[in-house]
Amino acid sequence: MDERRLKESFASAAAYGDEVALFFYSHLFLGHPEVRDMFPVSMAHQRDKLLSALGQIVADVSSHDTLLPFLRGLGRDHRKFGTLAEHYPVVGASLLATLAHFNGTAWNEELARDWTEAYTVIAQVMTEAASNDEALNPPWWGATVVGHERRTMDIAVLRVAPDLPFGYVPGQSVAVECEARPRVWRYYSMANAPRHDGTIDFHVRIIDGGAVSSALARSVGVGARLRLGAPVGTLRLDMNSRRDVLLAAGSAGLAPLKAIIEQAAGLDDPPRMHLIFGARTAAGLYDLADLEKTAAHRPWLTVTPAVSAEHEYRGETGTVADVIGRRVPPADQDAYVCGSSAMVSPTVNRLKSLGVPQNHIYVEDFGWSES
Amino acid sequence: MIRASYEPMTPESVRSATFTSSRLGRRGLDEAEVRAFCADVSDGLGRLMNDNSMLQAEVMRLRERLLEGKGRSGVQPEDGHVQAVYVLSKAQQTADRYVADAQEYSRELAEDARMRSDEILREAKVRASMILEEAHTSASRAAEAARTLNPVPAAEQQELQAEIAYLRTFSDVCRTHLRAYLESLTQSIEAWEQAERSGARAARAAKESAAQSPEHVLSATTGTRARRTPLEGCPPGGSPAWR
Repeated sequence: MDERRLKESFASAAAYGDEVALFFYSHLFLGHPEVRDMFPVSMAHQRDKLLSALGQIVADVSSHDTLLPFLRGLGRDHRKFGTLAEHYPVVGASLLATLAHFNGTAWNEELARDWTEAYTVIAQVMTEAASNDEALNPPWWGATVVGHERRTMDIAVLRVAPDLPFGYVPGQSVAVECEARPRVWRYYSMANAPRHDGTIDFHVRIIDGGAVSSALARSVGVGARLRLGAPVGTLRLDMNSRRDVLLAAGSAGLAPLKAIIEQAAGLDDPPRMHLIFGARTAAGLYDLADLEKTAAHRPWLTVTPAVSAEHEYRGETGTVADVIGRRVPPADQDAYVCGSSAMVSPTVNRLKSLGVPQNHIYVEDFGWSES
Repeated sequence: MIRASYEPMTPESVRSATFTSSRLGRRGLDEAEVRAFCADVSDGLGRLMNDNSMLQAEVMRLRERLLEGKGRSGVQPEDGHVQAVYVLSKAQQTADRYVADAQEYSRELAEDARMRSDEILREAKVRASMILEEAHTSASRAAEAARTLNPVPAAEQQELQAEIAYLRTFSDVCRTHLRAYLESLTQSIEAWEQAERSGARAARAAKESAAQSPEHVLSATTGTRARRTPLEGCPPGGSPAWR
């Protein structure tokens, strides 16, 4: 297997951009129409994902330390889509046909052999990871909505009860699919530490034009069924750290940080925590009452609400980054940041300017550009 | 701009591209203009991609025909498959476009609704603060009025004091008049006594002239009274200060 040839042939196909993925999926669905049902109606997002995953695999083809965990994760992750071992050769055949098509006359036996070999390894790692996971977890967790509360015009808090025990670490998130939007999965953070009754809270903020968020906040009600993937994410409380903790939440980015606060509340010696909870308007501070109640009898926890678009607000005004600049002393601390891209990057920059090293800043970027 | 470099550019990625806003005080671009431009670019890119895939199919077909002419005969089964792939791709792209358009439309509606609701709230707030301000103004006006109304009792007080002064003067006048009246009464009693004494002397002197006594005394008293009315020309006839 010649890595250079592999990369070159991928690059010359990838130059066609979206068309490559379009050809690949059409080829796959023509040969195996039964696979079509595993995908959403609109494939635009899907094509982007395929190309970026392939790009990453090819880029990392020689660095096994990063490639193998990525492929294993991908294999486990594909279980929730209903992917089975027998799907892998089918996909491989379409991938090769696509590459051959876009490489045109440059395609030859050698390249075909290289790619077959490479794909076999990829498929093997993915299926192995999937079957290892099978022993531990279901492909997805069915769950019922048991509570649905519309807190503001665009934020709803959902409480769901999974059918089977769903283990996770506070700060993690999970892919969620609802019946109203089949085959479309979106990630949401668990907003509570694991409870005895197993229920989970999700804070759903409606993205304008967002298919899943608007369905979850508006059309889904108590009794609706959801599917949850496996918990993912690296935002989690560093238990070995003795430093103070700063939690910076933008709007519904509060969810994973609230779970972390609940986790800390269960510790014998919780670290000092300062939560800065920002929103555009005072009404957007949708969970402030509960947070203040939590902080009232926990001297280690400080909650500072901040409003950016209402100057007449009586508390802190400005962005979360502004408030950090005013209220947080420049010192090394562990910082957990979660919110939209527009909130995360200035907040991280402000933290760095206060002397917080990059490796003490933990970030969950919600992106909020659902399509 | 937030965009991973390995991601291919697609109409969707152009449309949903996000930009970090420029720092306060620095010049930035009009967001609506940038968005509108991205939408235009996205549409253009989508059209080009459609054209491109059609042209590709055309190229494939022509290439096959060329090869055919050079000696290969018959339509290759693979060629038919590629045609089918392009047909399906086109259908998929159309479906994607519909979904994207629908989402774009709902996004615009939601954005518009949000802007309007913000506007309504802002207006309501302005109105509320105006009402509040008005209430404040009228409250402070009332307070001001209360302050300026205080002199009214003062005026009343002045009036009362004037009245008291008048009454004091009046009582003095009354006392003087009363004293004068009492004096004149005493004088007239004395005069009457004198008259009686002289009458008695006259009676004693001339016993037969008895017709003189009571009538005469009476007329003399009335005459005295008319002459010495002490309160004449005084209140309570009506002083201008009194009423």
